[in-house]
Amino acid sequence: MVFMVNLLDRTRPTVAEPQALERMDVSDRRAIVARVRKLSPGLSDSDVFVSSLRGGRSEAQNRLAGLKPREYGSTRNHLDGAVSRLSPYIRHGVINAADVRDHALDVSDAKAAEKFIQQLTWRDYWQRLYKEFPQNIWQDVEPYKTGFASTDYSRDLPRDIMDGATGVACIDQFISELIETGYLHNHARLYLAGYICHWRRVQWQAGARWFLTHLLDGDPASNNLSWQWVASTFSHKPYYFNLENVSKFSGSNIDTSAENNVPLSGSYEALYARLFPNLDPRQ
Amino acid sequence: MTLIWIHEDAITLDHPVVQAAGPTAKPVFVWDTDEHDRRGYSLKRRVFIYECALALEVPIYAGEALDVLSSLSGEGKIYAAATADPYINGVLSDLRRHHRVEVLDSPQLAYVPANTDTGRFFRFWNRARKSALTHSKENLI
Repeated sequence: MVFMVNLLDRTRPTVAEPQALERMDVSDRRAIVARVRKLSPGLSDSDVFVSSLRGGRSEAQNRLAGLKPREYGSTRNHLDGAVSRLSPYIRHGVINAADVRDHALDVSDAKAAEKFIQQLTWRDYWQRLYKEFPQNIWQDVEPYKTGFASTDYSRDLPRDIMDGATGVACIDQFISELIETGYLHNHARLYLAGYICHWRRVQWQAGARWFLTHLLDGDPASNNLSWQWVASTFSHKPYYFNLENVSKFSGSNIDTSAENNVPLSGSYEALYARLFPNLDPRQ
Repeated sequence: MTLIWIHEDAITLDHPVVQAAGPTAKPVFVWDTDEHDRRGYSLKRRVFIYECALALEVPIYAGEALDVLSSLSGEGKIYAAATADPYINGVLSDLRRHHRVEVLDSPQLAYVPANTDTGRFFRFWNRARKSALTHSKENLI
């Protein structure tokens, strides 16, 4: 708060009325970045990436106009599938989830739009839990079901993960995309979260905090509870995957060669035994 | 002055709070650098949020939300969209000490009975599915 000393009456400071920042052209991104940098002196000089996704309602409406609920339903698990990328706008309330649902039902019948609307409902579900149990957002909702205790997991995110230098090719590509664009396909988020929790045995909180730094759509409810779903602290079992699965759902621009992704190679049974040695073998 | 606090969970003027606040209310966005620092937001997140606020063509003030809103509103009422965010709810709670504050929900995606089991998503989905798959126009009937 800014106080101006009243020279006539030093016992009663008057509060200066806040002044609005100067208006600027929303299409002038260079000026916007400069403004944000000036307003954020604590940002690191190495934090240089700006997303190709632009903020604002007209941008959200353009994306909404391109929504294809039927194609979404059949291709959504593929990294190059017909996903909407509306999540950053919904997260910040630029566009409302109910309006998005209405549009989906305007351009498609309910059966074809169901998968898309179900994903919107996941967000609604996480928000309700956040409101009801805000304390669960940074705490394990349930114990890990991995054969390990939370204390067996590292509290800090290893440097090579933050730098996208794990040596696991597809994982490093997902990390670069996260850092450079602020957006990751949901399936890539699951792969990355699974790798961090189960291959590297890092507490989900460290990964969740890192995602919230970068994801344009990052909100503590959807993000953290999804991490808990992967970690198994809010699900019946841990989420993990193998290279064959990544290969099946990735486009050709993701390196899924066995030689460059050695830790992910193997059958589900073999990986299960390796990642969760304290559990009974997977049937 | 009656204010509408456009906070980062509802960067929109298409919200029931805007109608409730009336045509003379002033919508404002507060750019709170300290809060962004606490949340660890990267440059790209901050730019995206700034663009969303800028596109609304509402005044943007820099400072702590509580201070800016208190100072601008004077004796006036403050409206805001409901959110689960503890920080925003904390600011609203502090504002209530000296100001009249009204918080309104966003339009609902799904309607479920109060006793719905939220322990796992698909139990929730089974109760929410019908209303979630129904257009708002029909849900209002």
